[in-house]
Amino acid sequence: MALQGIWSGTISFSLVAIPVQLVKAIEAGQVSFHLLHSKDYSRLSRRMFCPEEKTMVPPDEIIRGYEIVPGKFILMTDEELESVSPERSRTIEIVEFIDMKEVDPIYYDHPYYLVPSKGGEKAYQLLVEVMRRTNKAGLAKFVLAEREYLVAVTSREGALALTTLHYNDEILPDADIAPKKGKIEAEEESRMKKSIEQMIENFNPGKYSDGRRKKLLDLLAAKVKEKAPVEAPAVEEEGGEGPADLVAALEESMRKVKENR
Amino acid sequence: MPGGTLWKGYIHFGDTDVPVKLHAAIKEERIQFHLLHKHDQVKLRQQMICAYEKQPVPTEEQSKGFEVEDGKYIIVNPEELEQTDPESNRMIEVHEFVKTAQIDPILLDRVYYLEPDMAGIQGKGYDAFVKALKEMDVEGICTWTMRKRSYFGALQARGKVLRLSTLRYADEVVPVESLGLQEALLSEKELKIAGDLINQLAASFEPRKFENEHQKKLQDMIEKKARGEKIAVLAPKRLKPTESDELLQVLEASLRKVA
Repeated sequence: MALQGIWSGTISFSLVAIPVQLVKAIEAGQVSFHLLHSKDYSRLSRRMFCPEEKTMVPPDEIIRGYEIVPGKFILMTDEELESVSPERSRTIEIVEFIDMKEVDPIYYDHPYYLVPSKGGEKAYQLLVEVMRRTNKAGLAKFVLAEREYLVAVTSREGALALTTLHYNDEILPDADIAPKKGKIEAEEESRMKKSIEQMIENFNPGKYSDGRRKKLLDLLAAKVKEKAPVEAPAVEEEGGEGPADLVAALEESMRKVKENR
Repeated sequence: MPGGTLWKGYIHFGDTDVPVKLHAAIKEERIQFHLLHKHDQVKLRQQMICAYEKQPVPTEEQSKGFEVEDGKYIIVNPEELEQTDPESNRMIEVHEFVKTAQIDPILLDRVYYLEPDMAGIQGKGYDAFVKALKEMDVEGICTWTMRKRSYFGALQARGKVLRLSTLRYADEVVPVESLGLQEALLSEKELKIAGDLINQLAASFEPRKFENEHQKKLQDMIEKKARGEKIAVLAPKRLKPTESDELLQVLEASLRKVA
């Protein structure tokens, strides 16, 4: 099963180390579109562009910079960034186990799954089972893509789930939101509770679906019946082989062909 | 006041209407980097580039296409897309109330605070609603439209405040079955020691204990570089994975270490 691995490393608790890969737990359901060049339907892609030289810039010519004063940058290479927290960029070290019931859901950020890498299957299943039996979750910190996350590792349906959490100081205070101390009339309270009581059901999230997604899919189904889909012209892979001048000549002739259409 | 009002609406169910204002509940801080051209430090811009011409393409020359097959697209125009936009209204419609424990945490997406909109005549409904939700331990499952998008979510009371959490749709959750995990043979001994180990490492959740240290270290590194100091580039720490046949020993050693 080819899973899209977002990160790979090791998860540990005390001396036990388990090689794992981080994968998505959520697949966004939105219908996604590609951007195409209107004149010939070539696919457009997001690239970094130098506004001065007016060309695309390949990844090996790009560096990250922190702007300390307007126009003055402190440059950072990928190695330097990875070495900021070297103990955490390839390891998720569980330092304590907690009861998830103590965690206010406002702390939850994004869920992922961890899958074991080769050789780690047994230790992985051990952690899954023992956290299930003790009903505990592991709390750890780890660094992913230059950001350090506080995470909760939980046992879920035979797998390890990892949920990133917000830090305490990222949660805005709600003191000003709460209304000033007002008296609630007994009659109003009982009427409210009765209204709610009448609408209590068992939760079945599958009942709810994205209406817009359905409308878009219906629109696309109708359109494909009216007209055949357009075809994007075949494109050479970027960084194509061949001497530079031959590639340039080919590009030049293609450009001329398009202009003459 | 935690940030301004993002949106105004009213909660509706049965004969009840509670006007509310939406506020952000989370504020994330990050050190932002710009992407620069190495040789002259010019700030780069993200552009949509045509695969052929290798030049940016302005918005008026862009079309949206849905890929039905490799390289084949159905083009949709802005007017057609607009017709699929949900109708906007200000109602947060509650369809049912469910016990909090029935909501799988994996569905929780973003959370907002709801403030009573006192400009509405029925400002009082808010307090009674919060109290009822708390005492009955239920959440209101609702749908609403905000900025041309439809949402599905849960209304929950915490303290004296009402929160609105957006929920993911059930079919957006990757099923565990698709991960291809295999069962492993575990001995009761290994499970017992691991259980003891976990209990030794048990703690109560104290969020104040945790800070974004990486952010601080990054800030330090930037300041050091600004002063012209050299930075040590350290390789990331990599742990040696525990072999399956040494698992028991390692568990026992761990327990001795923490007990």
